[in-house]
Amino acid sequence: MKDRVLIANRGEIALRIMEACENLGLDYVVVYTPGDEQSLHVKLPQAKGKACFRIASYRDANDILAVADEAKCTAIHPGYGFFSEDFRFARRVVKRNNPLIFIGPRWEVIRDLGHKLNVKKLAHDLGIPVIPGTIIPLYNELEAEAKAEELFLWQEEQGIEPPRVLIKAAAGGGGMGIEEVDDLDMVRPVFRRIRSYAKRLFGDDGVVIEVFIRDYHHLEVQILGNQFGELVHFGTRNCTIQSIGRQKRIEIAPGFDPKYTDYPFDAQKVLDEIVKHSLKLASYVGYDSVGTWEWLVTRAGKPYLMEVNTRIQVENEISARISRIKGKEPNLIEEQIRAAFGERLGYTQQDISFKGTSIEFRLIAEDVKHGFKPLSGIINRFEFPSYEWLRVRTHVPQDEPYRIPTEFDPNLALGIVWGKDTFEAERRGFKFLEGTIIEGQTPKGEPLLTNIEYLKKKLPEILKFL
Amino acid sequence: MALDNRKINQLLQSFRANPYRIFVVVTPHTGYLREFLVKEGDEVKGPTGKWLEKLGTPLFILEREKNPKTIRAKASGIVSKVNYELEGRFVEAFEPVLEIKHSLTQKEIIAELLRKTLHIVTAPEKARYFLSPELAKKIEKEGEGKVVVKPGEELAIMSFMKRETPILHEGPPMVVFRVFFSQGQMIEQGEPLFGLCLENERPYVEKLISRVKEEWPA
Repeated sequence: MKDRVLIANRGEIALRIMEACENLGLDYVVVYTPGDEQSLHVKLPQAKGKACFRIASYRDANDILAVADEAKCTAIHPGYGFFSEDFRFARRVVKRNNPLIFIGPRWEVIRDLGHKLNVKKLAHDLGIPVIPGTIIPLYNELEAEAKAEELFLWQEEQGIEPPRVLIKAAAGGGGMGIEEVDDLDMVRPVFRRIRSYAKRLFGDDGVVIEVFIRDYHHLEVQILGNQFGELVHFGTRNCTIQSIGRQKRIEIAPGFDPKYTDYPFDAQKVLDEIVKHSLKLASYVGYDSVGTWEWLVTRAGKPYLMEVNTRIQVENEISARISRIKGKEPNLIEEQIRAAFGERLGYTQQDISFKGTSIEFRLIAEDVKHGFKPLSGIINRFEFPSYEWLRVRTHVPQDEPYRIPTEFDPNLALGIVWGKDTFEAERRGFKFLEGTIIEGQTPKGEPLLTNIEYLKKKLPEILKFL
Repeated sequence: MALDNRKINQLLQSFRANPYRIFVVVTPHTGYLREFLVKEGDEVKGPTGKWLEKLGTPLFILEREKNPKTIRAKASGIVSKVNYELEGRFVEAFEPVLEIKHSLTQKEIIAELLRKTLHIVTAPEKARYFLSPELAKKIEKEGEGKVVVKPGEELAIMSFMKRETPILHEGPPMVVFRVFFSQGQMIEQGEPLFGLCLENERPYVEKLISRVKEEWPA
């Protein structure tokens, strides 16, 4: 039977999955919701005569599976967001009467690594450094106070001034149910408050206490595994430049570059360490897809594992841009699909080499000066330069006005530059940003703002501890 | 002044000339359209009862993931068009299936009139809207058409691109006469959210409503 992939996503990632399918000679089917008709993720496949189905929502599992059956698909690619890290969806896809291939890790892996505290416990047991604090949820006030005291003392010993802890709901996430405490006397009242909040909101009143780390870089390790236990990495990324809502704006591969800037620690040693630890956990759980291990690295060069993202990410491509498998640049989505279809890697870590620096810019319609407020409106002009070192990933058409749908984040495009070193990549980054024009208007008739100026301002800060 | 007698007369006249609306019934999601349960010319009823607990007339059966679902009429009227060719086929979400010619009710005429006569607060963006919890509580206690909002008070919460923005009342204190959306409803930009009137305009609005009630008995 000929394989056919249902692409259960929208925007640039849907387009990247289509490209990967085409490169692998796979057929594919596209879904969309009203409001996305203008998106290139619908228009391009339509023009090629590919099946495009209108569904009720990208979060409607029944619609996605009904379309998959109707279109005789054999696999589902969830992209990122939506169902990508929903183990129940992944399980349903493979266990239903008409089972399909879920392009991602086994559902058990998604379940086990999807829970932050579980990751912390697994990592702790394997001797992988995690943020100092509790590794199981606390339910008792006295225990919480004792733990907090221990963490305050630990920080004083480390010379961290002023010492602070975070008290957060174990079941929380995305900044909900989390408070900062710098006074031991406040631990009990805050613990009680968070506990009742967690009970109300998440139905589980477990609370976690950990050291509040402020001065750090956000690093990532790109992993690829498969069902045969083959496991490789594609280096590291640095995603420290983020909006106030902790959304990434600029990503760089590799994660540190001692030739570009000085570090108060042995940067290469830290990178090697986080790669080694990430592979250890991946090997332990039998990781069988592409995945990202997220780390915090403090100014003192101490790394702590934060979480695992069991999916393809927005920024995976910068890792591919600096990697060479036997001299050839990989496509990580193709590798992910091959792993899901049960193919062997055909190479080992020794065959992978790294070359140069890659930077990704996320172009977004937002008002950076007002808390990165997302904006809607119509884009009338969208132009970017063309260079062999530049790749632009976008679903926004250039030949007609485009209305930004309001149901999703207003991400417009990804600009990915490559340079033989970080200095060249940075210069090319400026060249890309200078040459990119996005014009439009908001529903009120005001000019549409984008974050291009912000990206220019932040570009000189990459990879540096300022 | 939003209340213009001439405009109101024109509106009432247009309702008299054409007291119908066409409702297009679309598929709520994908699936196989197994069977039509009505034909052109049939009379159908929308949901009735105090809490709309009595379901509308069954229109067709849509089966998805082996789960047949009866799609029912949401408005009363005469089935004016049926896309028979869809029978037995797999349909996409939001596919037009049939049309219902619906005679406007007294309540609907009042609602349309109010949309055109009151001071309207429109949706600034296409987004989901939620009535402000405090306002909702007050309306529940005092009833629609009674609660006064002061400048700066929160009318609604707009949920837009994963963020929530309050919509505040601007201008003089006004009566919240009508709320035109249900909790969490997706509203197109520019569509009405609230109909407000000044305290001294309220007698006119109430008179207008009783006039409609006389002309179009329920």
